[in-house]
Amino acid sequence: MLKRSLVLMLILVACGGTAAAGPDDVRGRPDLPPTTADEFEAHLGGIDRPAVVNVWASWCLPCRSEAPLLNQAFAQYGSQIEFIGVDVQDNQTDAKAFLAEFGLEFDHFFDRDREVVNFYAGIGTPVTFFFAPNGELFKTHNGILDERTLALNIDELLQLGS
Amino acid sequence: MEFTLLWAALTAIGFSWVGTRLWTDRLADHPTDRMIGAAVGGLVVGRLVAMALQGINPLIHPFDILIVRGGVHTGAASVGAIVTYLWADKWRIADLDATAPAAVLGLAGWHAGCLWRGACLGTASGLPWAWAEPGSAVTRHPVELYAAAALIVAAWLVSRLPWRLLTRAGAALALVGLVRLLTEPMRPSLTGGPVGWYLAAVVLGGLAAWLGPRLAGERGTAPT
Repeated sequence: MLKRSLVLMLILVACGGTAAAGPDDVRGRPDLPPTTADEFEAHLGGIDRPAVVNVWASWCLPCRSEAPLLNQAFAQYGSQIEFIGVDVQDNQTDAKAFLAEFGLEFDHFFDRDREVVNFYAGIGTPVTFFFAPNGELFKTHNGILDERTLALNIDELLQLGS
Repeated sequence: MEFTLLWAALTAIGFSWVGTRLWTDRLADHPTDRMIGAAVGGLVVGRLVAMALQGINPLIHPFDILIVRGGVHTGAASVGAIVTYLWADKWRIADLDATAPAAVLGLAGWHAGCLWRGACLGTASGLPWAWAEPGSAVTRHPVELYAAAALIVAAWLVSRLPWRLLTRAGAALALVGLVRLLTEPMRPSLTGGPVGWYLAAVVLGGLAAWLGPRLAGERGTAPT
């Protein structure tokens, strides 16, 4: 019985997962634009709506789990809130493979030296920053996001804007 | 930060242990051990299904299973927990009735564990007992505490039901589904929550409570 259950579980998980992005998916993508803390702050200052900034890396396991959640949030709130990704301590090839695998279609920046994260005093990877309109930092969430945390903070941002 | 989840889990275990002391009638040996095993089994199954649905292959990324905060599929976890419990209890279905009130109390403890996690709040509310997230002026329903209180009442109600096959277990499942269903609109969510699974719990639990005694004979069979 146990053996049968294990086989069934293996089949289930093998069918459910997607394959990693192939080389063609990666080659067709442009490099992520590099950014510095000052450039990023200026970029945020020019956005007149709230922003969710997610710091990720292709080698970061928790980032894999929260990527589908961010995709969902972007699809739902992308018209009201700016979603931005910041890839840290990574290389362009792996970063592009990660984006191709999860189809994260919002804007991403490349920050090899974690300047942006350090500037806003984030800890570890992943980190998610929630910004009021015009780039004022509202909240920092260090660590993996769950659906409730993301939804609640998005609601807070929307209440700020209203 | 992840230790807050551990505290919430310990609160759930504490509540279920209290349940096994309050409602000792016809309990099998080591009920808390079995409930902990069932919770772990449910967590693993729920996490695997959530990963599969998120497009993360557990065979390629096995360590992702540990990242519970990344998502656990409610329906799969519930089925996994019940099956694990039955497997650990040698498929004695009638024992579910004896364990049901303590299990519901354990769930109440899990919800009350939001106090450790700083995750009690739901949608915005102007009610006097609503409170705000740190740094925010928006007061919110303490929705997880509502659920905890409702589940404590549900556990007591289940403990008052007659000893007929699956009456208590079915009612427990239905009441847990109902509590989640009623509180779900107050939870911030991107998806609206697994409302379909809560509805399924209400229907299946109700059916089990109604059909169990009939399938077992007019008087039903009680666990011994």
